[in-house]
Amino acid sequence: MASSEILELSLTDLSWLIAGRKLSSSEAVAAALARLEKLEPKLNAFITVLGEQARAEAKKADEEIGRGNYRGALRGVPVTIKDMFDTKGVRTTGGSKILRDWIPNTDSALVERLHAAGAIIIGKTNLDEFGHGGTSTLSHFGPVHNPWNIERIAGGSSGGSAAAVASGIGPISYGTETGSSVRRPASYCGIVGFKPTFGIISRHGSFRGAWSQDHVGLFARTVKDIALGLDPVAGFDARDPASVQQDTPAYTSRLEASVKGMRVGVLKKFLDGVDPAVRAAFDAAIKIFASEGGEIIDLDVPEISYAAMTSMLTSSAESAGINRRWFRERYHDFVPHVARGLAVGMAITASEYLTAQRARHRIRVAVGAAYEKVDIIAAPTTARVAPPLSEGVKGNGDDARHATYNQSNLLRFPSMLGLPGCSLPCGINPEGLPIGIQLIGAWFADQTVLNAAAAYQSATDWHTRRPAIANAMGA
Amino acid sequence: MNDTDKLSHRLALLEGVEIAPADLEAIVKEIEDNLRVVAELEEFAKDTPWISQQTQPAGKKA
Repeated sequence: MASSEILELSLTDLSWLIAGRKLSSSEAVAAALARLEKLEPKLNAFITVLGEQARAEAKKADEEIGRGNYRGALRGVPVTIKDMFDTKGVRTTGGSKILRDWIPNTDSALVERLHAAGAIIIGKTNLDEFGHGGTSTLSHFGPVHNPWNIERIAGGSSGGSAAAVASGIGPISYGTETGSSVRRPASYCGIVGFKPTFGIISRHGSFRGAWSQDHVGLFARTVKDIALGLDPVAGFDARDPASVQQDTPAYTSRLEASVKGMRVGVLKKFLDGVDPAVRAAFDAAIKIFASEGGEIIDLDVPEISYAAMTSMLTSSAESAGINRRWFRERYHDFVPHVARGLAVGMAITASEYLTAQRARHRIRVAVGAAYEKVDIIAAPTTARVAPPLSEGVKGNGDDARHATYNQSNLLRFPSMLGLPGCSLPCGINPEGLPIGIQLIGAWFADQTVLNAAAAYQSATDWHTRRPAIANAMGA
Repeated sequence: MNDTDKLSHRLALLEGVEIAPADLEAIVKEIEDNLRVVAELEEFAKDTPWISQQTQPAGKKA
């Protein structure tokens, strides 16, 4: 099989071929590394590439599978992870000068579970420093470029992971989200980005952005691939205080591409200010949900207007607390924009933080009441498509400090409240840039969100579109 | 206490880190923004109980 064909395979198909020994892990890893090498000068999606190690592990995987020992869907599959996850013996930087040479001597929980599942980590992806950003331009290692147009941002903070999957450099990547860092880059890069309920995936051994809002999430091209990648890494971990007791993950076996009878809430009052092409794609997507048997319900939760302010104040204070020592000792080693943000966070008093938590509780109660009326909430993931790199951090257009800035509210409330959220592609704008829709479920309704997302993908083909850079570069 | 002194009290929370004037100006502006945000959130949340729990429901199980 040609490398370009291998890189077109979904995780689902790749796993099946590897399991059936119709394709070797070595071939799959070699193809992914070859594409990485070709595209990386344009994308800057990686901080560390584990070529030699990955090839050696792939060889072992092939030998193991050859002996009839097959661990599961991720065995022998090339995967990438955001450089937020401790990886034993491998540089783990957080996108920061402060840790540019740090090599942990233990694995994070995510890496432990990926190793147990037999996945082959081929590289650690670029990001906004310690997750503090929404563009992936705030990295000590330079900005990530969007594969659909390298003059555009990939979104952040998990931009490297999104760019990698969108380019076919591995069918799956693992990132983190505190505000929007999985859903936004997924939308900008035209792929699926899933953030499970808070506590489903252990954060042990990953850097904290803001402890009460940090999640581990995944990127893939299809929802089924997300489910396949979620099962091996979800599950209780006592080392993460936020980790939840849960049944053995079975998101794949329970995946049902259906919205029949599902109540889909649309927060119409929050759609003002959305780019016309994004709005048109979103409206078309809602019609798909309706035609597939979903009940579309107009929803109004005015409390969500305060979500962005509440979330940002919370993140800002928590980030400052986490980074307090480095703030004092290494202020000038942070990316300047991140350093300034930490300074602002340091100036938030305890009583102000607690005021934000009261506001958070009020929003939580209101959103909880909304989920009595709907099963999922659908919204555009972002108000506009990926902005130009030249606009820097302001390009996202987020304004978290005004209650009326709706788009920031729609992005921030799921991660602030710990709700499961999935962004998936729902269109391409006239400039050829992807548009995303996000589906947000109630707490622990991760399967409902995945089922709805799968239903949408069954009825559409936006997830099959590829950036030209991947096709032009071949393998 | 005038506004300048109030801001000085805030900046004292930055633990004496040396910050360039241009950066300090940007930081001060954001601090002022945050003060307005806090005032809005105080009003928004005035009838809401004080809590100290995580954002998930108490009987958390997936």
